[in-house]
Amino acid sequence: MTYATSTISKKLALDFEISDVNDMAIGEESAFIKKERTRSVEHYLFPFSRKWSTPFARFHMLKKEWEIDTAVKSSISEIVIHPAYQQIIGMGPTAIPFILSEMKIKRGHWFWALKSITGEDPVAPSDRGNITKMTEMWLLWGREQGYIR
Amino acid sequence: MSQMDIEASFPRLPTHGYVITSPATTEYNCIAWAAQDIDAWWWPDSLQLYFWPPDIPRVETLDAFIKAYESQGYSICHSSDYEAGWEKIALYVDINGKPTHAARQLKTGYWTSKLGRLEDIEHKSLDSLAGTQYGSVSTIMRRRK
Repeated sequence: MTYATSTISKKLALDFEISDVNDMAIGEESAFIKKERTRSVEHYLFPFSRKWSTPFARFHMLKKEWEIDTAVKSSISEIVIHPAYQQIIGMGPTAIPFILSEMKIKRGHWFWALKSITGEDPVAPSDRGNITKMTEMWLLWGREQGYIR
Repeated sequence: MSQMDIEASFPRLPTHGYVITSPATTEYNCIAWAAQDIDAWWWPDSLQLYFWPPDIPRVETLDAFIKAYESQGYSICHSSDYEAGWEKIALYVDINGKPTHAARQLKTGYWTSKLGRLEDIEHKSLDSLAGTQYGSVSTIMRRRK
């Protein structure tokens, strides 16, 4: 994948995620059209033959699958035991910058993966469960470790 | 995620009646929402990353969840019917008896639930969330308002 394509992919992937958050006020038909558009663009960007071609593409395909399948789950064990999430953990340190980039734009349950991969936990015990503070602490850790700027 | 996604996960909701009452958020989950906490995601995970009330066993059993709510002033009761002066919650478990979800009763007698990392909803019946995702209601608890 060229740098230019990669940048476009990242931007469009970002657009999908942002658009996911604000769909409460749109009608059912519009939501369906939006979903189909997203799927079309996604198929264009990540055809099956290219799904596993780069760690970035692999991460995003796994993330998407995991998010869809666990959206209504409250159980952290069910959320993190999902095969796609386990495969992201299996990517090892390669996944860390992708996870941290994701956390910068959208909060999610990446703490288990980060702790599993790095063996570290920068979150204070008093902040357990506080997603905003947990995210902030991991992003700070990412900056200190040179994963993000 | 949209209304369609919610209804795909809980097919009984449209016929039983429900409304979405908040934007989607990952800040809290159903277990916290039932206890009226919107600042933390509650779960007794083994890595101890998430909030769980102090001194309550960090295990995914119904007993531990009951103890967690007892620490918030709830006690087990036997009816999900609305009773003036009491706030009730319902605990759902899967087929293995593992807790999956909690809902809180409103003064209308209806119930409010946070659906994973999606929206809060108000639903008319507890049964509308029963099924493959959350299993069925196992325990009702109540505390004085």
